[in-house]
Amino acid sequence: MATLVLALTLTGCSAGGERREVIVTGSTTLLPISEVSGEMYTESHDGISILVSGMGSSAGIESVTKGSSDIGTSSRELKDAELELGLEDTPVAYDAIAVIVHPDNPVRELSTFEVRSIFAGVITNWSEVGGPDLPIGLVNRDEASGTREAFSKIIMDDARFDRGAVVLPGTGQVRSVIADVEGAIGYISLGFVTDDVKAVAIDGVEPSEATVVSGDYPVQRVLHFFTKDDLSDIARDYIEYVLSPDVQDTIVRDAGFIPITAKEAIGG
Amino acid sequence: MAEPQQTGSGPVKSGLKMMSRATYMREALLKNLFLLCAIVAVAAVALIFVFTTARGWEVVKDPGLVAFLTGAEWSSTLGRFGILPLVVGTLAITLGSLVLGAPLAIGTAVFLSEIASPRMRSIVRPAVEMLAGVPSVVYGFFGLVILRPIAAELTGGMGFGTLTASVILAVMIVPTIATLTEDALGSVPPGIREASYAMGATTWQTIYKVLLPAAKIGIIDATILGMGRAIGETMAVVMVAGNAPQFFKGLGAPIATLTSQIVIDMSYATGTHKTALFGLAIILFLISMGLVALVRALSRLNEKKA
Repeated sequence: MATLVLALTLTGCSAGGERREVIVTGSTTLLPISEVSGEMYTESHDGISILVSGMGSSAGIESVTKGSSDIGTSSRELKDAELELGLEDTPVAYDAIAVIVHPDNPVRELSTFEVRSIFAGVITNWSEVGGPDLPIGLVNRDEASGTREAFSKIIMDDARFDRGAVVLPGTGQVRSVIADVEGAIGYISLGFVTDDVKAVAIDGVEPSEATVVSGDYPVQRVLHFFTKDDLSDIARDYIEYVLSPDVQDTIVRDAGFIPITAKEAIGG
Repeated sequence: MAEPQQTGSGPVKSGLKMMSRATYMREALLKNLFLLCAIVAVAAVALIFVFTTARGWEVVKDPGLVAFLTGAEWSSTLGRFGILPLVVGTLAITLGSLVLGAPLAIGTAVFLSEIASPRMRSIVRPAVEMLAGVPSVVYGFFGLVILRPIAAELTGGMGFGTLTASVILAVMIVPTIATLTEDALGSVPPGIREASYAMGATTWQTIYKVLLPAAKIGIIDATILGMGRAIGETMAVVMVAGNAPQFFKGLGAPIATLTSQIVIDMSYATGTHKTALFGLAIILFLISMGLVALVRALSRLNEKKA
């Protein structure tokens, strides 16, 4: 919210003159990358501000299309209807979506089919997948979430999410609820997994940089910056900075994501 | 506005009072200033109504009025916008909050008005009023961290849902209902109260048999306004209700309301979805108008009786 107020103030000040800011809106998953790199960029470039907010991937795409932001960040691909918007795609990192459970949950591994059945509401007790006799507490993301979109595409196939799942509007909230409720299961970006929750292996593969780069971990995706062709020079320079090894090897990796260059390095 | 025309600078006659020209000008200025305040308030309501209606009325075309009002599924990805589960969710949570909150609030009001010593009152009343000043996000956070685990124990679910949301809202509507009920009890003529005591009735008998019936309509008014507050509350509900747009499946199951669905969806809604959200706003507006009309009708009834 503070960023938003700041954005309004700055827009007001710079009206008429040359714009000295870049507005970045979209995926909450991408927040660590755009926020930290934005701060670093601001420090080395006097008088330029990078204003970052996270409202969901769809909101980011909507906002860059309408011109209310320079860069729309997204943790999902464009939908068919969005392909005609003329947006330019810059992949900035790879990410795995981890299926997370409470740390005390003895279940260590699930198959793609089991995960799908759980999120469709077909499997409702942990005992059905080799766990204790404990009802499964489903935690889903809201429909604006790029993580939900990507998860749905990779895992759910044609199956529909159980409508009775708790819907939480943010990655952090999903994590804190799962850390707190013993029978809960949810999914968040690998970059957000901490010791408070446990990521289970999918089809026998643990989520990690190595398994994402090798392509073995199935639930992975590309994180995008979407822009329009009338991009300002400052924004263009900022994107180049995000793609530079400076950011890719430090900020992107520190945030738990995988540098966009990693697959090229092994020829993938 | 017909203003008396003035000539010369001497004292002018207005009604029965003589006043100087300066005083007259000041009076006229103030009168118009207050009129302006009232107009701004009315214009704000009218503008909001016109705006939401203009943006939302097309729900009658797509998805169509019947599909919108009676559809059993709300899913933006599937393009289905039926508000029935949301209406049921709103009703369930509101009803729950009234069942818990109204007795609590009316009890508080009876205590403040009939039982408490002036010293006690000076402590309890500000405390109740402060409840109204706590930001709703704080209520929501309290509900999420403290009440949700308790509700999870009680219901066997995750604690998101009707129970937690109702308890939070029950506390939130206490100040509204308590303050208005206290006013209603206070406006019962003292003679009635004294007559009851003079007949040898105890405090409880007086409250139960005389005061509460006498203030009945005022108390119903208070409860309806509390209900309006519960229906409109958003932030606290989003944090604890679980936001699953499904039909009521028990106190511990996640549920969504008209307001919470608007908040969850508004950042990315486009096209029909956005129209449908404005449609939800119209429904909320109509509910609110209905409640206000009900209160007005009851007050008129009360005046006629008195």
